[in-house]
Amino acid sequence: MKVHVDPERCQGHTLCSMIAPKVFQLDEIDGHSSPISEEVPADQEARVREAIRSCPEQAISIT
Amino acid sequence: MSAEEVLDDAGRQKNRYHFDRHMPDYRHRFEAITQEMHAKCPLAWSDTYGGHWVAAGNREVFDIARSAEYLSNDHDVEGVRRGYQGITIPTPEDMKFQGGFLEMDPPEQRHYRQVLNPYLSPAAVSRWVPVVEELVRASLDEKIETGRIDFVDDLANVVPAVLTLAMMGIPLKNWTIYCEPAHASVYTPPDSPDMPRVRQGQIEMFQDLFAQFTHIRENPRPGVVDALARAKINGKTPPDMELLGVMALIIGGGFDTTTALTAHALEWLSEHPQERERLSRERDTLLDSATEEFLRFYTPAAGDGRTISADCELVGTRFKEGERLWLSWAMANRDPSVFPDPNEIDLARTGNRHHSFGLGIHRCIGSNVARMVFKRMITAVLDRMPDYRCDPAGAVHYETVGVINGMQHLPATFTPGPRLGPGLDETIDTLQQVCDSQRLAEPVTVRKAGADIGSTS
Repeated sequence: MKVHVDPERCQGHTLCSMIAPKVFQLDEIDGHSSPISEEVPADQEARVREAIRSCPEQAISIT
Repeated sequence: MSAEEVLDDAGRQKNRYHFDRHMPDYRHRFEAITQEMHAKCPLAWSDTYGGHWVAAGNREVFDIARSAEYLSNDHDVEGVRRGYQGITIPTPEDMKFQGGFLEMDPPEQRHYRQVLNPYLSPAAVSRWVPVVEELVRASLDEKIETGRIDFVDDLANVVPAVLTLAMMGIPLKNWTIYCEPAHASVYTPPDSPDMPRVRQGQIEMFQDLFAQFTHIRENPRPGVVDALARAKINGKTPPDMELLGVMALIIGGGFDTTTALTAHALEWLSEHPQERERLSRERDTLLDSATEEFLRFYTPAAGDGRTISADCELVGTRFKEGERLWLSWAMANRDPSVFPDPNEIDLARTGNRHHSFGLGIHRCIGSNVARMVFKRMITAVLDRMPDYRCDPAGAVHYETVGVINGMQHLPATFTPGPRLGPGLDETIDTLQQVCDSQRLAEPVTVRKAGADIGSTS
């Protein structure tokens, strides 16, 4: 599973990193999210799916 | 208007609903009105307040709120641009005032946020946790031996107010100048006999704010006020009135909203003691989802107005430039197509992509502060007053919820316990020294370490 955060859509709601802190990191200055690494560890896949469902801006996708 | 245009408007505005969120009836029948609008007209034309659109459905609110190219937040107080009326519907008659960058469009709006982000990002906010814990501790200590507290007056009004001033760089003890007017100006109806007194309090608040601003401009002191005093917006130093509007926005956003969320959550937990015990016991896994669920269910800031900035078609409806629109975060948060059993509180709810902090480029810039302060207040009450019971006869909800879904009073009783430290005034004095000596209100780009409450050096 690969995860992507659309930087044009992300507004820094921070729910993804609350749900999957091992996958998403927040920018120190504006709190916008990005994946720590594109490849999602197998044991984090369920959390990433929940982060996708919880993102208010629908900014997260997986391939 | 030509006959063709009248016919056209009738076609565009075929879904009509008489929507008046400023009436007490809207609060009392909120769930029924919301269900009716979701079923019949998730996007409706209302004849109230000069006529405006109302987006109530989740998809409608989501799609429209994120279409920034067709929306304007601009409040053109001087009438020098397109005369747009900002985010309040109706526009207040007696206070013609631009509400900071929430009533601006890019690029100015973006420039202001870039100035403030390093004070309000998750990394910036986490530095303040020890200060907040100390404020909460002192607020509860004031009441812990008596077995009686008003969760609004004695806790939820105090902590957000003192913290907001600390982050701004304003003396913490001045919180009493700001607290009452910041809340009373929201819950007092315009025709209330108390309004002149409330307005007088607001004037005193703005006088202090402006005095702080001019002082800090001459004598730099870390904090949001300093950042604004030095800011270049679009390459220019903004006029003082514009900056005052930005500071008022931070106070308005920082005070009443977190109070409203905390009071409602504590009231609900009192009514559901088993859920309260569960939240306390399982807080490591439940506190985050419970916080989002209280945010969704109570939606402290009910919605935002916009002006359509260009003719467009969104969610199957044609809009005309200049039309007004209300985006109801509160109603979108109860849409059953996104939230199963939307009128139930489920502390473990998943997929909770609520809109309580807004959507798109105007996402609440204080959302990280709100969550942190709320969580510290709730967990401290669960630890120190675990058997508290709110007194329904003394609870006062805002009469109307058109602006903020808030509470004015929430008295409770509990088994008394021991104090853990000094009272509030002494604690505020100590925290002022900590703020000053450690320069806590610097942006995260300058100071990364959290507050050290154990020392004042």
